[in-house]
Amino acid sequence: MSNPILSISGLTTSFRTGGQWRDVIRDISFDIGPQETVAVVGESGSGKSVTAMSVMRLLGGNARSSGRIGFDGRDLLSLPLEEMQKIRGNRIGMIFQEPMTSLNPVLKIGDQITEVLMQHRGLDHATATTEAVRLLDKVRIPSAKARLGEYPMNFSGGMRQRVVIAIALACEPKLLIADEPTTALDVTIQAQILELIKTLQQEEGMSVLFITHDMGVVAEISDRTVVMYRGDIVETDTTRQIFRKASHPYTRALLSAVPQLGSMAGQPRPLRFPVVDMKTGEIAPVPPTADTVRHDIAPVLKVEHLITRFPVRKGILRRIAGRVHAVEDISFDLHAGETLSLVGESGCGKSTTGRSLIRLEKMTSGRVQIDGKEVTKANQGSLAEIRREAQMIFQDPFESLNPRMRVGRAIAEPMIAHGLASSSEAIRRAGTLLEQVGLSAAMADRFPHEFSGGQRQRVCIARALALDPKLIVADESVSALDVSIKAQVINLMLDLQEKLGLGYLFISHDMAVVERISHRVAVMYLGEIVEIGPRQSVFENPQHDYTRKLMAAVPIADPTRRQTRRIADSEIRSPYRAADYEPAKRQYREISPGHFVQLTVEK
Amino acid sequence: MTRSSQPEISVHEAVGTTALPAISPFRRTVGAMLHNPLAMAGLIIVGLLVLIALIAPLVAPQNPYDLGQLDIMDGRLAPGSESMTGMIYLLGTDDQGRDLFSAILYGLRTSILVGVVSAAIALMIGAGIGLISAYAGGRTDAVLMRIVDIQLSFPAILIALILLAVLGQGVDKIIIALVVTQWAYYARTVRGSALVESKRAYIDAARSMALPDRRVIFRHILPNCLPPLIVVATMRVAYAIMLEATLSFLGIGLPVTEPSLGLLISNGFDYMMSGDYWISVFPGLTLLLLIVGINLIGDALRDILNPRREG
Repeated sequence: MSNPILSISGLTTSFRTGGQWRDVIRDISFDIGPQETVAVVGESGSGKSVTAMSVMRLLGGNARSSGRIGFDGRDLLSLPLEEMQKIRGNRIGMIFQEPMTSLNPVLKIGDQITEVLMQHRGLDHATATTEAVRLLDKVRIPSAKARLGEYPMNFSGGMRQRVVIAIALACEPKLLIADEPTTALDVTIQAQILELIKTLQQEEGMSVLFITHDMGVVAEISDRTVVMYRGDIVETDTTRQIFRKASHPYTRALLSAVPQLGSMAGQPRPLRFPVVDMKTGEIAPVPPTADTVRHDIAPVLKVEHLITRFPVRKGILRRIAGRVHAVEDISFDLHAGETLSLVGESGCGKSTTGRSLIRLEKMTSGRVQIDGKEVTKANQGSLAEIRREAQMIFQDPFESLNPRMRVGRAIAEPMIAHGLASSSEAIRRAGTLLEQVGLSAAMADRFPHEFSGGQRQRVCIARALALDPKLIVADESVSALDVSIKAQVINLMLDLQEKLGLGYLFISHDMAVVERISHRVAVMYLGEIVEIGPRQSVFENPQHDYTRKLMAAVPIADPTRRQTRRIADSEIRSPYRAADYEPAKRQYREISPGHFVQLTVEK
Repeated sequence: MTRSSQPEISVHEAVGTTALPAISPFRRTVGAMLHNPLAMAGLIIVGLLVLIALIAPLVAPQNPYDLGQLDIMDGRLAPGSESMTGMIYLLGTDDQGRDLFSAILYGLRTSILVGVVSAAIALMIGAGIGLISAYAGGRTDAVLMRIVDIQLSFPAILIALILLAVLGQGVDKIIIALVVTQWAYYARTVRGSALVESKRAYIDAARSMALPDRRVIFRHILPNCLPPLIVVATMRVAYAIMLEATLSFLGIGLPVTEPSLGLLISNGFDYMMSGDYWISVFPGLTLLLLIVGINLIGDALRDILNPRREG
């Protein structure tokens, strides 16, 4: 490679914790050539973000770096701070993960961009404004000139990330560092932003250092890939080579755990993830999944015309000004031993559906039966009985356990409260449940903060199993987990389904995971189910426009299938409606057995 | 969706130290206190003052309540003077010949008793109302919080003055007055943190398991509201002691026969100008030491119990 733009050699960064220096990244070296995109990929704690922060020298006083970071013939680590200040934002631009917080909420968008231009490029106000409009045009923000005077709150997440990119580009940097820039975004928006970064890189002739945990994104965007594991680089190669024939066992383990859209073609049932031996890199054969669906007995969950709307009140008299139509006329069945996935993007009402079913949210109308019992009309007593049959696993394992309760007690508590077991009996059963989810009974004495994220999610599953439920509503239960942990938890869920005949309502935005785990899939958009059917049928033969768009947006973890796609730069619409709005009655068409598609209504 | 797909970052996972022994939040807090020099200073000051207040009858040279032990001839003696009977007055005497050192020890007893008891009662009432307010929400919440607002809009001293004027003097009366002026602070604090906690997923989890309301409130919400409550309670004990001292200084708190620190300061005030500084200054210094000590502990607790520091 001729004259790399950025050349990192022997970089070690340590943090001081409790008076001791601990290496977070150790002796890492890699180069980024001109107009090249290098992805640094790894799971949490791998040190990938610390690498980016070390390059920018943005780490605080309790961190130190040694080695060499060559940029433009100079060593960034030995530069005086004011010299570094000139490079930051000027020669190296940076975009962060969270578009909601990386813009100042009380300053107009235009001012935030012109500020950078006047500061770094010494432009006067008029030229800076013209330049700001040009930049916003460049990141494809429609009617840029009109939007200069708006505040960040008027922009959606994707649009904010575009503004952040515009600011990063303001000084025509030679290198753009992108730290998980699409992680907080919806999948269709993510596709737009990735497309944008690719285009801009060509237009501007920049190099890009792309930090991510998502192998799919890596395959989409990078020329070369650096794989990090616990602070070390385990493998550096061209992206194609890494996906074709990874040499390090960790890389192989990581890749085998990545859910790949389309990898389930021809498979009627869910499939476990292959388990890779971390030492040898051998892939153990995947045990076939048994047929668990019990069509012979009545469905465990029956939902008919479920509607949940939230009134939005305004004014002193608290008049209803409008309603958020979170869930709009949804009907489906779920059998024992079956997994039905609700997929869709943020705000589509998938979580509200799950919460309405067990009455964590008040439904507006409709009928829900769990195991033949009416949820809708249940009073306090019978509701307790119904909730015993249907348990919920939440998204964030850090939030869903009481931080001040030992996990053994947390698992035993529902059994005691429902009078199913005496206190000592419940504690003993909690130990058994912990073993059932792959932890040890001795861990019952620990507090939640002593567990890792994946372990906590196992604890949550054990707690959900405590009441011997027939149905589990899993609300984005694996979304916050690292790829390899995610694969393990999904395998566990499939094991438990086989053993206990559980019905899962699996709520997720992640199409690739959904493809792996479900028997049937329902695609939601603006509170409605637009398409529902057997997983194989929906994924191999999607009918509704939105389903197709959603599938096209999922990054494919295979660089040879990289596609230049045209994603319409559209936004996700809002389900907020005026108070007197009456939704149209929807019609569905059955295109193959059990596969229904909503008919598009002409507006 | 802002948090959904964010990869988790866990220190334990990163360094692979998941095999930590189980440490309860309580023991972590105590451990952190012992490593904080200012907190240690506060703990030692308050610990010593409470200890000598408790054992006052054993260590005090004289019982300041027993008029038989007092000799009016010993009135207003300077610190270090010798009495008619040969006893040394370490910190001097007041106008009635009362040994100030003994009076301060007994005064500490009264001050701490009034402060702690009133704070404890106010805490229970306030926390209860705060929890009800947060959990019930809607109209109940609105009514209770407006009462709190009204209560807080009057200066505490004014309410206490009016109450004592009606109730009269006495330790029980002043405790009632202090409880009435203090409970609203606890209610406000607990409601705030209970609202935050009840929005969190583990409360949803508890509700989805159909746990009874009582259990959700006391086993799940309350323990997680304790950190801010403990901090407020510590500060409020100090405030209650000061308020009691103020009221006694104004002569409407405790009877002259049961001297608290405030009353002692008040007794000596008349003689400040004639050079008999000790009658006011020594009780005042003791009060200052006690308040500073409690506040040091409170500050340290606030830092330690800050949720951002919890792992």
